Amino acid sequence: MNYGTLIVGNGPAAHRLAGQLRHHGHQGAITVLGAEPRPAYNRALLTSVLACTLSADDLVLPRLPENVQVRLGITATRIDRVRRAVYTDDGTVYRYDQLVLATGARPNAPAITGLTSSDGGFSEGVRAIRTVSDCEDIPDGRTIVLGGGVLGVETALALRHRGQDVVLVHPGPYAMDDLLDESSGRLLLVHLENVGVKVFPGARAAEYAPGKLALDDGHVLDADTLLLCTGIRPNIELARAAGLAVRTGVLIDDHLRTSDPHIYAIGDCSEHRGAKPGHIAPAWEQAEQLARLLTGHNARYVGTRLVVRLRTSSIDVASFGSPGENTDRLATESVTLSDPARGRYARLILRDQRIVHAVLVGLPRAIASISQLVSRSLPVPSSRLALLLGTSADHWSNAELPDDAVICVCNNVTKKALTCAWRDGARELTNLVRTTRATTGCGSCQRAVERIYRSLSSTTETSGAT
Amino acid sequence: MTGTLVVIGHGMVGHRLVTDLRVKDRADAWRIVVLAEESRPAYDRTALSSYMAGKSAHDLTLVDHDFLRDPLVDLRLGTVAASVDRGSQTVTTTDGTDLGYDALVLATGSRPFVPPVPGHDAPGCFVYRTIDDLDAIRAAAVSGRPGVVIGGGLLGLEAANALRLLGMRPHVVEMASRLMPLQVDDGGGRVLAKLVGELGLRLHCGAAIRSVDTGTDGRVCGVTLADGSVLDTELVVFSAGIRPRDELAGPAGLGRAQRGGFLVDDQCRTSDERIWAVGECAAVNGRCYGLAAPGYRMAEIVVQQLLGFGGAALPLPDVSTKLKLLGVDVASFGDAHAMTAGVLEISYVDNTDSTYAKLVLSPDARVLLGGVLAGDASAYPVLRPLVGHELTAPPEQLLFGGAN
Ligand SMILES: Cc1cc2nc3c(=O)[nH]c(=O)nc-3n(C[C@H](O)[C@H](O)[C@H](O)COP(=O)(O)OP(=O)(O)OC[C@H]3O[C@@H](n4cnc5c(N)ncnc54)[C@H](O)[C@@H]3O)c2cc1C
Ligand SMILES: Cc1cc2nc3c(=O)[nH]c(=O)nc-3n(C[C@H](O)[C@H](O)[C@H](O)COP(=O)(O)OP(=O)(O)OC[C@H]3O[C@@H](n4cnc5c(N)ncnc54)[C@H](O)[C@@H]3O)c2cc1C
Repeated sequence: MNYGTLIVGNGPAAHRLAGQLRHHGHQGAITVLGAEPRPAYNRALLTSVLACTLSADDLVLPRLPENVQVRLGITATRIDRVRRAVYTDDGTVYRYDQLVLATGARPNAPAITGLTSSDGGFSEGVRAIRTVSDCEDIPDGRTIVLGGGVLGVETALALRHRGQDVVLVHPGPYAMDDLLDESSGRLLLVHLENVGVKVFPGARAAEYAPGKLALDDGHVLDADTLLLCTGIRPNIELARAAGLAVRTGVLIDDHLRTSDPHIYAIGDCSEHRGAKPGHIAPAWEQAEQLARLLTGHNARYVGTRLVVRLRTSSIDVASFGSPGENTDRLATESVTLSDPARGRYARLILRDQRIVHAVLVGLPRAIASISQLVSRSLPVPSSRLALLLGTSADHWSNAELPDDAVICVCNNVTKKALTCAWRDGARELTNLVRTTRATTGCGSCQRAVERIYRSLSSTTETSGAT
Repeated sequence: MTGTLVVIGHGMVGHRLVTDLRVKDRADAWRIVVLAEESRPAYDRTALSSYMAGKSAHDLTLVDHDFLRDPLVDLRLGTVAASVDRGSQTVTTTDGTDLGYDALVLATGSRPFVPPVPGHDAPGCFVYRTIDDLDAIRAAAVSGRPGVVIGGGLLGLEAANALRLLGMRPHVVEMASRLMPLQVDDGGGRVLAKLVGELGLRLHCGAAIRSVDTGTDGRVCGVTLADGSVLDTELVVFSAGIRPRDELAGPAGLGRAQRGGFLVDDQCRTSDERIWAVGECAAVNGRCYGLAAPGYRMAEIVVQQLLGFGGAALPLPDVSTKLKLLGVDVASFGDAHAMTAGVLEISYVDNTDSTYAKLVLSPDARVLLGGVLAGDASAYPVLRPLVGHELTAPPEQLLFGGAN
């Protein structure tokens, strides 16, 4: 028990874990091995580097305490579970009491003819964005972004922001179709086209040759660069070679433990209860829970509610929870706001007054308040519309029904006509009905007429009393 | 000097025109001849379904003793106007009588549209428009047997419910993807489908009828849908929309609107200054209205003109509706389909209570422009009068706040 904790990988998950271990009072040694040559940075902000709104240095995460050993540019190559040792590419061997895999993921390359070269790497002109160095020297000219998930959309908008000619190819009916419903998806599509991203929805790449991409719908597109945003593949090779249980990611339980009780996994390389990896919030949360566990605290990781907010200045898009979470349509309530003229849309699925799923477009204030409600699992306010529009319920005056409001449509009786008839002496409901004909058509205004009758009666009584 | 006004049609609107004129015509300037095709005086057609639920024809009548005894009203029941001669200002009835007029009001209403599919006129096919139609359906109904209603609009659902009340097992065939496509949107349609399904109605949405099939006796024995499926039934009710009864127009040289109806201006006047059209048969600036209230506004406007106070134009009619299907509330009011430019919509679905509510609001969300309610229309009397006005409270409070 004196080798301490060894963390393989130096991305956001590893970084948060190392910091929080110290914070929670971890006594033993902490060593972090990072393959990338630079200090840990927030990968989720990379598209801002692409858009030139942030520099690579802005992404660097805070310095870790002095007594955390961080080894940069070192890649772990093998785990010896019996000896509890990790071998690396510079020959050094690191022993551990507990090992944490935080190896993240790498871009997934779809099986498309011509995408990869004979040496297994990408063909000329093909790239993907995963690291800071991937964002450097993106050629000018036309870029085809393949894949219209969050990353694809952010990337396309970022490149467009730099003034590049951008085409987005996406197999779904609209971009981000795994998170958005049709209405919000259409709004996003309109926005993409408005800012000049040419979108090919419902199309798959069929064949690539440098300078050209053929789609399965017959289009052939010119491309200086083909940027893959076609998902990620968790880095599980170390774990698999060591005989740990893996599926898409390294399988972990609610204690973030792999099939070896001395080995844990967190972040994009892990797979918890079948959840799809690739988001930073679960990585943060898992790191936090593991730090607690390894310092003797009681903790459990039960999943992270998915919150996706498109990182771009030109449109506000957010999705809370996954659409699948509202599988049982029982006992749920939904609220939909649709304001196509101003590019605004929202759909909330509620259970017990709490949000289980939400999609919002063009409503930054609502996105902010809903983030709060979701993260603290608070009930939504009674005026859903006020919440969505970012106003208070005072937006609607507590006014009286106006005089010229038509109460009985069948007989065209206004509120004023009822008031006048009352003043002229029709002091009983039956008289009021006889003189004005109100309620004698379809009868649906009965309650409204009664209410006016009651309010007339009561105001006259009170004014009579004073 | 007394002029003669001939009114063709004694339906809801024709009757309203006559009674309104009799109230306002203090100088007895008009003697009125009313030609009524039906064998009974005007009755509340909007309450027709309550006839199946146990009301009598007498309960539905719009006519009282004073009206029938009024010496200036000559009501001729069972009399059909066959033609109008504008030159000689006469109306000729099918029994050959000529009636001179100084003013003529056409109030012939509509007839149900029956799609010309094979077998559409076989014995066993019905429509749902008059008390006589309902008597015929009642006579043909066989308890426990399926009955098929063609058309899932407001009237189709009423007809289906009538079949249910007769102990039949109703099917509704609707071409659109949802029920009441004119009144509600998809959300409302889903709630409606669920609720009427619970009432025992079997729905076939997005389905067209290919033919009404007949047996060796020539009577209806089933209905075949476009997808080839067959519904076994001896009774079919067509409720596939209505068409204005404007067949007097052509021979009389009066204009018809593109989609039917006597073409009139916003004062309900045809191109002939002595002839007006009101109610469902009137195409005001080219548009017909299939509801009672707009017809009443037309009647009032024509009465004004008959009494020499011309000028008023028909305000944009309120096409609000509320379905009275047993236990299932559906209402639609104002700009229910958000056709006004730049509006926003908010809708609420509660799966627990199976209710749906949608409001159409002005861009600043303050003014109510229209809406749809399904499953629970208790907010209808509160909301409908507010159309065109600022909301008097947050929408949720008006919708669900237990406003009473
Ligand atoms: C462009 C981009 C934009 C994104 N935007 C968002 C967003 O808006 N919201 C969101 O939630 N998520 C976003 N993500 C995803 C998010 O960045 C990841 O979920 C997050 O980085 C996961 O952190 P991690 O530490 O698990 O893995 P990673 O960040 O992938 O870090 C793993 C590190 O381990 C290193 N490593 C791997 N194997 C070894 C080894 N054998 N030895 C040593 N080191 C190794 C890798 O080089 C890497 O540096 C985005 C990702 C990208 C690429
Ligand atoms: C089942 C049902 C439910 C309804 N529910 C509602 C509702 O809830 N709300 C609503 O607003 N509306 C409702 N309506 C529609 C409403 O009934 C009509 O809008 C209204 O009756 C129109 O009145 P009208 O006078 O124009 O036509 P009608 O009431 O149809 O009257 C026309 C009359 O003219 C007669 N006629 C036609 N041609 C001639 C001729 N040549 N000579 C002599 N007589 C002739 C016809 O026989 C008929 O009696 C409903 C209709 C039906 C069938």
